[in-house]
Amino acid sequence: MIRVAAVGDVHVDHDVVGRYRPALEQLPEVADALLIAGDLTRHGTVEEARSFVTEFGGLAVPVVTVLGNHDHQSDQQDAVSTVLTDAGITVLEGTSAVLELGGRRLGVAGVKGFGGGFGGTCASNFGEREMKDFVRVGEDAANRLEAALTGVECDALVALTHYAPVPETLAGEPPEIHAFLGSYQLGRAIDAAGATLALHGHAHHGTERGRTPGGVPVRNVAHPVIKQAYNVYQLLSDEAEVTLVHA
Amino acid sequence: MTRQVDDYLEAEIQRLLTEDDRVAEQGITVQRREQSVVLGGEVESPERRAEICRRITERFPDVEITCDIGITRTSVPVDAEEIS
Ligand SMILES: [Fe+2]
Ligand SMILES: [Fe+2]
Repeated sequence: MIRVAAVGDVHVDHDVVGRYRPALEQLPEVADALLIAGDLTRHGTVEEARSFVTEFGGLAVPVVTVLGNHDHQSDQQDAVSTVLTDAGITVLEGTSAVLELGGRRLGVAGVKGFGGGFGGTCASNFGEREMKDFVRVGEDAANRLEAALTGVECDALVALTHYAPVPETLAGEPPEIHAFLGSYQLGRAIDAAGATLALHGHAHHGTERGRTPGGVPVRNVAHPVIKQAYNVYQLLSDEAEVTLVHA
Repeated sequence: MTRQVDDYLEAEIQRLLTEDDRVAEQGITVQRREQSVVLGGEVESPERRAEICRRITERFPDVEITCDIGITRTSVPVDAEEIS
């Protein structure tokens, strides 16, 4: 069994330092790894990244993250990533990591993702240059997620994004903004590659549970949705039925 | 003259909540209730809630604002979900 703790949208600045720490100190008792689904900071500054690292760094379990749109606000996303990486935190963007946890391999492939919408109300690659750029950025993120997922050799595979891969976990958000909260293309990538679980954030007023059209469980772990320091998900609970993904 | 509570005001508040550097929140709801505005949602600290109310009141002194914003708890989960 692998126990994955997850949260998103912690939006850390100096005023948040110390709020999560007591719960984080207890992580090793309840989980084997912590995955964070983006919006680590408020404005994506280096100073805020340092606050994030003060709060979420030096933990007794490995920490894997993707960035969110807030972490891009100051155009310092590369510097933010460097601060995290220097503190031993893994930042994924079209990439993957494999964690060895008690003899089992947890694969995590991640991308920030982007908007684009879902089903019959998705955006199309048509018209003005700005519109085509919007659609292309979302499509490109989904393609990189699919490539990252496909390349992983592990026992359980988690897709980690900031933007949502399905509309079900957006329930509670106004439908008018769904196209800014996620894209069906992320869901399609997850289904094409196959995953044990998909985690995302970004939709603060969304709903925790959903599923992709292909049947992969999706969890919106945005902090205001889960309303606690992190959630814990158990993977591979049936130890006898372990199969290799993409062996 | 008292500011009319209408679509334009609602949009202005929505944008201030996100674009004001001292707020930067996308998860605050703005609802009209007769001639007042109710702010909802959750933020990460009491300081942020206070700052939101301060900024909105400063910018729209004639508008009656009700601040129903909560602080998201950071407790340890008492259970785990089995994914299958
Ligand atoms: Fe967020
Ligand atoms: Fe976000």
